[in-house]
Amino acid sequence: MAESDMRLEHSGHEPDSQSDWVTGLHPMDVLLRGERLPHIWCQGCGLGTALTTFIGALQWLEKNQNWDLDKVSVVSGIGCTGRIAGYIRLDSFHTTHGRAIPFATGLKLVNSELKVVVISGDGDIAGIGGNHFIHAARRNLDITVICVNNFNYGMTGGQSGPTTPHGARTVTAQYGNFEHPFNLPYLAAAGGASFVARWTVLHARRLEWTLREAMMHSGFSFVEIIAPCSTSYARWNLEGRGLDPQKLGRRGLEVMKHYQQVGKIGHDTHPKDAAIKVNEKGEINAIVEGVFLNEPKPEFRAAIKHKTQIAKERWSAAKKVLDARLKLPGRNDVVERTEVQLGGFGGQGIMSAGRIIGQAATLYDKIEACFTQSYGPEARGGAAGSQVVVAGEPIHHPHLIAPTSAIIMSQEAYVKYVPNLTSNGTLLIDDGLVTLPEDHRQDLKTYGIPATQIAEELGNARAANSAMLGFWAAIVGAVSQAAMRQSLADSVPPKTLEVNLKAFDVGFDKGVEVLK
Amino acid sequence: MSDKGLLTGEHFLLGDYAAAEGAILVGCRFFAGYPITPATEIAERMSTRLPQVDGIYIQMEDELASMNAILGASWAGAKSMTATSGPGFSLMMENLGLGIMLETPCVLVDVQRGGPSTGLPTLVGQQDMMQARWGSHGDYEIIALCPSSPQELFDLTIRAFNLAEKFRTPVLVMTDAEIGHMTERVVIPQPEEIEIINRPQVRKGDVEPDHFRIYRDTDTDGVEGTVSPMAIAGEGYRFHVTGLIHDELGYPAMNAESSEWNIKRLVNKIRAHRDEIIQLEEQNLDDAEIIVVSYGISARTSQWPIEQARKEGIRVGYLRLITIWPFPEKRIIELAKRIRAFVVPEINMGQICLEVERCAAGQAQVLGVNRLGGDILEPQQVLSAIRKAAGRSDQPQTDLQNRQTER
Ligand code: SF4
Repeated sequence: MAESDMRLEHSGHEPDSQSDWVTGLHPMDVLLRGERLPHIWCQGCGLGTALTTFIGALQWLEKNQNWDLDKVSVVSGIGCTGRIAGYIRLDSFHTTHGRAIPFATGLKLVNSELKVVVISGDGDIAGIGGNHFIHAARRNLDITVICVNNFNYGMTGGQSGPTTPHGARTVTAQYGNFEHPFNLPYLAAAGGASFVARWTVLHARRLEWTLREAMMHSGFSFVEIIAPCSTSYARWNLEGRGLDPQKLGRRGLEVMKHYQQVGKIGHDTHPKDAAIKVNEKGEINAIVEGVFLNEPKPEFRAAIKHKTQIAKERWSAAKKVLDARLKLPGRNDVVERTEVQLGGFGGQGIMSAGRIIGQAATLYDKIEACFTQSYGPEARGGAAGSQVVVAGEPIHHPHLIAPTSAIIMSQEAYVKYVPNLTSNGTLLIDDGLVTLPEDHRQDLKTYGIPATQIAEELGNARAANSAMLGFWAAIVGAVSQAAMRQSLADSVPPKTLEVNLKAFDVGFDKGVEVLK
Repeated sequence: MSDKGLLTGEHFLLGDYAAAEGAILVGCRFFAGYPITPATEIAERMSTRLPQVDGIYIQMEDELASMNAILGASWAGAKSMTATSGPGFSLMMENLGLGIMLETPCVLVDVQRGGPSTGLPTLVGQQDMMQARWGSHGDYEIIALCPSSPQELFDLTIRAFNLAEKFRTPVLVMTDAEIGHMTERVVIPQPEEIEIINRPQVRKGDVEPDHFRIYRDTDTDGVEGTVSPMAIAGEGYRFHVTGLIHDELGYPAMNAESSEWNIKRLVNKIRAHRDEIIQLEEQNLDDAEIIVVSYGISARTSQWPIEQARKEGIRVGYLRLITIWPFPEKRIIELAKRIRAFVVPEINMGQICLEVERCAAGQAQVLGVNRLGGDILEPQQVLSAIRKAAGRSDQPQTDLQNRQTER
């Protein structure tokens, strides 16, 4: 049926009677939102053909491959092509400019039963959405991306875009486009797409066959459709030049005629060689068409699913550790706010030591603790620092105001943190690593053990922090020995559990000794 | 411990991890994100945990994609989430708008760091509070929650999902680097102990597809501000949704009347339920002459100065905004009539302070206490402001006090 007749038929209906439209007027009507017609596209525009071939392919799949079209989602971005989502009677999403592909990614990943098709224009997919395009191709996500390429931004009036041929004219390239266009099939293939094809709308039947194939393909499939933009692009370039601006339909036909002259079928052409060829004025003189790439390749959703089993095994192991945690009664004596500064260098386990104190306090002594660590540049370059506040009451201020004790395991940390300690505070050092300077603060209670040496003798230098923790637990007493041991056991790799507990005990005993 | 991969019980947990666990417990099964400090640990946790509960984690190519992917996931029926910080939050604004327009339930956690631009990647800020309200273009209402501890980050992530599902809209959790990177006790209840709200939804066959309105204006009661049931992809409704101004069917309708209908619908569904959405914590407001209004980490660090000031005989009350947006206008207006001053501590130049001023409308004095990112407020700063508001003399303080802005 001619478009003008459709308009007559459809005018004046209310959206209420959606089903009225399904009257068998045309076999494709069931897949069109009749109440949304007439469409907004210009006469002579290639988008009508693009939509028709798409619908044709879907109907073929429904009939011959038992596709349930309820399971097909169409996602579009913004632009003339983007309006396709609004005309097709399927679940359809008209998203933001360039973002159809990530939206489609979410749909497909959640429900792999869905067949998700993105249809959008060249500006949308290769311009503003270019990043999403290459990344979806890289993932080989099982969606189909149909890009209708008309070499310019049609909806906004015909500006240059990422596919405008070099030398061609547009409203923003009146002296000829000085940029170079993308070769979209090559871009898709280089990104990792496993199905890549191109047709002009002139080859409507072949295009439809390819669309079927693309949608059936498992993995990322990309089909470029070259289509006339009769209003904008054709106005400035060879195909439409000299034609009456009122006769858009005619202009579109001229472009189609031109496609007939320059189009060449070349299945299996290397995508690299599929660039659209132009003369120095940007006039197209060769368009190679066909299916360039169709290769089996592991699909993304399946790759994700594959990892689930490993993840679940990891969970079972973690759960076992959690289930093995002791149930301690907690302490009920008064615990004053204790602020602990830990400092040393990377690899000594300064972070985990602070965390172990906090965890011991909250989970096993059932008092409060807040653990924070230094992030960013400060935490790089070797120096490491962490802080923990332990208290019998809720901790409002999470930072150390005046540290009451410190565990210091490097000279650098000594210099950095010791000045902040509160008067009469307790300083614990690994005295194999830290030398007290002559002007060491006399107002502090300073105790040292050769923690690293102790750990080395036990067979693992990395257990030095455990020795310091034992030492701290005995001397400061803000967290109980039992709680500390359990927290330590939760936190170290099972293989090193024994040596860490031993180091802790040695440190603890030394602490008890020192206090005597 | 519960089976099915759900973590329960008591844990010493990083704030960011708590957000992830809250999401998983309430049923989030899709996370899309992009690495950014200090929100990265949420993504890291999700990448490990979601596959254990048959969920999907994906790292997208940027935050534009992340936000869009969670919208797509929501329309496929999943509860979905993303997490980011300042620069990424800016990128997400575009499609936060799409989420609002399409009426898509999902949750966005912003672990705020100092800004603008790249700002202070590892250090705290509360500088996105107004961006949360107005960051996407156009008119809309937003729901934003503000936790003060890892436990509350856990709790509010659950609540954010419930509100998102109930009102079919994106919900923001506005936390910060301090809370996100803090490790504290987090108690995770059994799944059956928490309230879980699922979106109003039509399933296959519930309604004749031809009669289905994806944005039905009112429910059978004709009450304004109702949330219409959502269809998800693949259930046979063959619906259409668009970021354009649209009608009940989701079809583009570009005219002033439709715009009025559409925007009022988005705004009213939240305004009409303000009382239900707004959650406040109040202490000592009855006798207060001064009220400290704060949120997040700054509310928490205001506790000590408030106790101190009360010891000094100043009648100070505490009003913590757990819900930041919609703003609790009614309560502030009411309080302004009978108190001397509000003190508003926050880690920015004074953003929520502006809202308090608007509501106080000259009836009470409003004093901001500010720090411009990089560190939490000094207790002394807040104490000085309280004393000043009460007309008491203040001892000389640190130079930080000079940063106090009097309004
Ligand atoms: S502007 Fe160009 S692409 Fe857009 S509808 Fe008109 S002819 Fe088609």
